[in-house]
Amino acid sequence: MRERIAGGYDDFVIPFMIGMCFVLIYLAVALIRLFAHIPPKDRIKFFKSLVNPAIMWKNVKDILFDCLLHVKIFKRNLLLGYMHASIAFGWFMLILIGHIEVALYVPQRNGVLYYPVFFRYFVKFEGETTLKGSFFFFLMDFFLLMVLTGVGLAMYKRFRSRALGMRRTTKPCFADRVALACLWSIFPLRLLAESFTAGIAGGSFLTKPMYWLFNNFLSNDMHILPTWWAYSTAIGLFMLALPFSRYMHIPTEAFLILLRNAGLKVTKPRKGFAEAEIYSCSSCGICIDACPMNIQKKNLPFSSVYFIRFLRRNNIKKMNQIAQKCLMCGKCVALCPVGVESCGIKRAQRATIYNNIKHDYTYLHQAHHTPDNTTQESNNKILYFAGCMTHLTPSIIKNLTGIFESSGTEYIFADKDGGVCCGRPLILAGREDAAKEVIARNSQMIQESGCRKVVLSCPICLKVLKEEYNLKGIELLHHTQFINTLIEEGKIKVKRGAESLVYHNPCELGRGCGIYKEPLNVLQQLGELKKAEKEGKESICCGGSLGSITLSYEDRGKITQGSLDALTVNNPDKIVTACPLCLKTFADKSSRPVIDIAQIVNENIC
Amino acid sequence: MKNIVIIGGGPSGLEASAQLHKMGYNVILVEKSPVLGGHLAKWDRLFPQGIPAKEVLEKMVSQINGVKYFVEANVQSINLLDKSYNVILDNGITVLADAVLFTTGFDLFKAQKKEEYGYGIYERVITNADLENWFRTKEDNRVVKDPKRIGFVHCVGSRDEKAGNRYCSKVCCATAVKQACEIKQEFPDAQVYCFYMDLRMFGRGFEDMYLSAQKDYGVRFIRGRVSEVAENIDKELVVKAEDTLSGKPVKVTLDLLVLMSGMQNCPDAVKVAAQIGVAGREIDGFFETKDSIYSLQNSTKPGVFFAGACTGPKTLPDSLHEARAAALAIHNYLTEKK
Repeated sequence: MRERIAGGYDDFVIPFMIGMCFVLIYLAVALIRLFAHIPPKDRIKFFKSLVNPAIMWKNVKDILFDCLLHVKIFKRNLLLGYMHASIAFGWFMLILIGHIEVALYVPQRNGVLYYPVFFRYFVKFEGETTLKGSFFFFLMDFFLLMVLTGVGLAMYKRFRSRALGMRRTTKPCFADRVALACLWSIFPLRLLAESFTAGIAGGSFLTKPMYWLFNNFLSNDMHILPTWWAYSTAIGLFMLALPFSRYMHIPTEAFLILLRNAGLKVTKPRKGFAEAEIYSCSSCGICIDACPMNIQKKNLPFSSVYFIRFLRRNNIKKMNQIAQKCLMCGKCVALCPVGVESCGIKRAQRATIYNNIKHDYTYLHQAHHTPDNTTQESNNKILYFAGCMTHLTPSIIKNLTGIFESSGTEYIFADKDGGVCCGRPLILAGREDAAKEVIARNSQMIQESGCRKVVLSCPICLKVLKEEYNLKGIELLHHTQFINTLIEEGKIKVKRGAESLVYHNPCELGRGCGIYKEPLNVLQQLGELKKAEKEGKESICCGGSLGSITLSYEDRGKITQGSLDALTVNNPDKIVTACPLCLKTFADKSSRPVIDIAQIVNENIC
Repeated sequence: MKNIVIIGGGPSGLEASAQLHKMGYNVILVEKSPVLGGHLAKWDRLFPQGIPAKEVLEKMVSQINGVKYFVEANVQSINLLDKSYNVILDNGITVLADAVLFTTGFDLFKAQKKEEYGYGIYERVITNADLENWFRTKEDNRVVKDPKRIGFVHCVGSRDEKAGNRYCSKVCCATAVKQACEIKQEFPDAQVYCFYMDLRMFGRGFEDMYLSAQKDYGVRFIRGRVSEVAENIDKELVVKAEDTLSGKPVKVTLDLLVLMSGMQNCPDAVKVAAQIGVAGREIDGFFETKDSIYSLQNSTKPGVFFAGACTGPKTLPDSLHEARAAALAIHNYLTEKK
């Protein structure tokens, strides 16, 4: 193998080089801008993380599994996973092996940007096939085939997305269409170019037979150069369109992983860390099917993928519209293969809308909110914090306090005579400053109670207590966890009923706090547990979420109905949930009884 | 002789039956419960003058001599055959009806859906219907012996988007004022509170009733919705609300709380109507009339008519007017059909 073209240059590389240089300059500028918007403290945190071995290892692992192999999508749908992984991993391997080939055969061209890409044009194959040589030829053809199958699937998906497990896909914008057309043509053109040149530069199982085939009716070499030109132009155009298209996620995603693993969080809706998230969105559209609002077709434009798109375009009107409509149920985040925290960005966006509202919190300091019956011995007792929502569903209070009594649990009812809001609704509305006031008041109340364990019957409160409160050394439990422990420790005994049950996993409990096992554990002992259509982290919001600011009751009603339909596919006798808001929302619409887990446990204590 | 099937034996059904029977039609009245009279049969007295419901009902029932009626009967199926409707009842009777009149009335909003008010959870929370029943029978353990403080919550399941009913149920304001006065008559020492959004005293004599409730009975009207109700150890009810006139939260402890449940269309009626393509209006669930001013008794289908609360909340006199109007509309329809 030696260089065929003297000087290692031909004019056809120009389109490629224009595109490549453009992208590199663009990325460099973007990177500097992004760093400028990251708070200095976070910047230091980031650079420190790069030398931390544990984080380094996690970075490598995440980039391999998430960016290249797309394991998360594989778990969702094999074919869809293969489509993404074959293009990403296959392409990556083509580039990598291209560089290895250059390093091995024409080391004098090391570092020439275009050389590995057009390697086959510049070299000539001489003499006998060595094992090493045919190995690389084989690998190159193998990965090219892999990418081609991926591209083929992508084309098929355009017409029949359902075959790849997607009901709806993203509507591409203009830049997306240009980039997509280029991407689809890059690899078939590469195949053609390499096949035409296979007689000179050699090839393997794919390019060689193609060469023989073409050689039958295209005997002169006049068509070789135009195909290389076409191949180079396709890549060049793709690169030019890349920063404005969804394919920006290719360079950004790996960078996002580094930032995320360093522990950075969204501070501004469009700058800094958020920018990395925004550009990491690959517009795959998995969030469209995930969104509970999309039970109605008219809500499709409010999907997270479009929110991200409008953020990129800085379309403030649309950004605000979507940010305010979102239920913040977190399902799109849970299913996002890139892990874009769109709910966090929406919160940051909301903060820009409502930042002129003044709140009056003087009442917090006038009222007496600490429970009366706290004593020195209260550190053995648990503190029960019902929260506003549970006060609207007295059945939960009645049954949970019933369980406390049956199990001999000594407890203090923190907000029996009314309490202060936990702050979560304010946080969801983007009013973190206002939330701090109520959080401080409640934190003080909890600390002054002397209890070391707090039980909450509302997952909305639980989430904010876990994330925003400063309650070091105090254990926070949802009542499902507490009941599960009571049963495991034998403090209460439950009997199995004849009814079949289905469990609705509340957003704030499952996706919000990561509590999935305990409620199922409890329910398994109470009756026959039936499966819902969507379970675990794919559970569908009840429609009552506090997260949405502008969604109408009619639209919420449709979500509730859709969620109920998905819950009752296997015809259970009762729907059990673990959130007062879900309970209230479902009870209004359900033809079956809807009860809280506390109620069914209390009714079955023996 | 023309057959007319009337579905629902409440006031509208009874009145329409009587009128159509007098016109010489063969009327078949179908009632799902064991007695005729609908909600009226369960009511004690009627606003604004406190006329006993029993008296009014007896008068109505006396008018339907000769009308064929079935109690404890439901419409099993109904379908259009050429120009008449084939109605099959679950007691085995089949009628070929030239016209069908829906007088299916309303269902009370299920107060347990507003769980924050504690109906079915706390001992001393009852509904307007429960209170009427107590007035009649004096039998209800939830009404304690000598209540000192009694509260009425207006608009339970009405004008409440969260509860799914955006509309006003029209009669609850007057009913609440009537019941507040009546309970004060029963327990003269009790303090009675009414928690309202605004009082819709639209009918003749209603405003006088309201003034009398304040002047003669000392009922306290608090403008503001009840946010939540809790029960204390003595089973008393701790009610939290906002007094929107003074802009302050109020908290009162009560011995009895009465929820003014609003009206909803009957789900059973909706199922029957669906078989012949007659549907409820999406926004409120009540049946869709042919138009909203001129042809209120006509449905969107020929030969199918409405009277009473199945097309929206109505007072008793309103329902009776509609029943008579429906009788005339049916008569005109059958005369023109010939």
